[in-house]
Amino acid sequence: MSEPIIEISNVDFAYGQRLVLKHINISVARGTTVGVIGPNGGGKTTLMKLLLALLKPTRGTITVAGMPAVAAVRRGDVMGYLPQNPQTPPGFPINVGQFVRLGLAGKIGILGRESADDLRHVRWLLGKVGIEELADTPIGELSGGELQRAYIARALASRPHVLLLDEPTTGIDRIGQDQFIRFLNDLKQSLALTVILASHDVRTVAAVCDRLACLNVTLHYHDVPENMPRELAREMFGSDLAELRTSRAG
Amino acid sequence: MDALLFPANLELTSNTIRAAVASASVGVAGAVLSPFVVLRRWAYLGDGIAHAAFGGIGTAVLLAIAFPALNNGVAIFLIGAAFALATAGAVGWISRRRAVSGDAAIGIFVAAALAWGFIAFGIHAHLGRGNTTGWETYLLGNVNRLPPAAMALAAGVCAAILLVVAVLRRQIVLYCFDPTLAEVSGVPVGFVHYLLIMLVAVVIIAGMQLAGNLLVAGLLVLPGAAGLAVSRRMKIVVAVAVGANVAATLAGIAVSWRWPFIAPGPAIVAVLFLEFLVAYLSRGRGLSE
Repeated sequence: MSEPIIEISNVDFAYGQRLVLKHINISVARGTTVGVIGPNGGGKTTLMKLLLALLKPTRGTITVAGMPAVAAVRRGDVMGYLPQNPQTPPGFPINVGQFVRLGLAGKIGILGRESADDLRHVRWLLGKVGIEELADTPIGELSGGELQRAYIARALASRPHVLLLDEPTTGIDRIGQDQFIRFLNDLKQSLALTVILASHDVRTVAAVCDRLACLNVTLHYHDVPENMPRELAREMFGSDLAELRTSRAG
Repeated sequence: MDALLFPANLELTSNTIRAAVASASVGVAGAVLSPFVVLRRWAYLGDGIAHAAFGGIGTAVLLAIAFPALNNGVAIFLIGAAFALATAGAVGWISRRRAVSGDAAIGIFVAAALAWGFIAFGIHAHLGRGNTTGWETYLLGNVNRLPPAAMALAAGVCAAILLVVAVLRRQIVLYCFDPTLAEVSGVPVGFVHYLLIMLVAVVIIAGMQLAGNLLVAGLLVLPGAAGLAVSRRMKIVVAVAVGANVAATLAGIAVSWRWPFIAPGPAIVAVLFLEFLVAYLSRGRGLSE
């Protein structure tokens, strides 16, 4: 197993008196794809917010690339993030190319400027996610799928090591889910990304993840999918994991 | 027609030049911020800050009773400005903590500051003290006897805002697009949030003598709304906003000089509203591409 890029150690989190996460320990190796699964209210979104330093653990520590999560986020080039159901404010006056370049805003800092290499990378990303010809289109004119690709390109503009995806296939039909899976697998290989995928979509999780973290306040399982106990898989997925992976591969 | 366009009382005096430079400067500064104010849904923020300044001016005229040294335009302006900045900071803090929604926070300050301003002027009048300029002048603007410091302030504010927006445009745009997305991208969102609010406050302060506390916020809303009505490209939006605001401020003070019974604030905002109507009715006719 390669060195861990994310270490979540003894983390508790409570909203007021309500404990949402309890004694969470997760170690994510560089280059792996971890699927965070679990029921509604199980703590998936809270865990994502903790990784993004939008929330502070009540107890325990989170490090990303060897630094506290808050420092990793402030660097602007450690983590990329795709929110659930990406949307644009109505009439926002920027085009797709400008939107993707905004992904560099944190990395370059207040007095910095985008380098020529950064801009080349942005152009390459636009091509990679398949929206190069839309670069001059106002961001508000994209379809849902195109907008999601623009958001992913924006998240990857600063060349982060880690990509966090929050429910990326929610509201997408079966064909769209298949396209997203191929697209994500291609991106992972091209960019050597570590991916954290929080999702209800067990088929997508089964198809792209090489580690699973089953979360329901506490961590029920954290290992490769093949070692997952059958009873837990049936409880989490409603069917046998091997069947799901086979059906997705087909 | 010549008498209408070039009235005798619109002669080129040093005050005319000062007022024109101050108007154009405030127009440019307000216009550059205006698209961000509209996109961030802060249209009401400028009102809150400007009305807080009116409360500050009311405080100043009362303080001037106890401390006669404060009974001058500069001291009254400075106390009004201090109230505006303090309110901007308070609204920024409250809205960021999300304990009270931003519009509720602004609404609270608008009502309280206006109420206090009128109470203070009422007490001042009741006590029959001094010859402090009437509250209408503060609310509606006045370009007569504009001091050189007012022109310097407006020009300085304009230069500062152009510089800050040029340097921080990416961070400001991403913050206005989605503050949470900006935060997780490493943008110092707290800094950008307070900076934008303070920039709005200094435009209000620089423009309140010209357009008055009641209407100065229009300089931060209408030009951006006009720009956004005609284009989906930020450069065009800002260019339209700048053109609209400079034209409106210059036209507004000219109208006020020509017909002194019309205060500059209402004249400027009336022109801005006409410009907005034209922009809105011509939307989608070529500027967006």
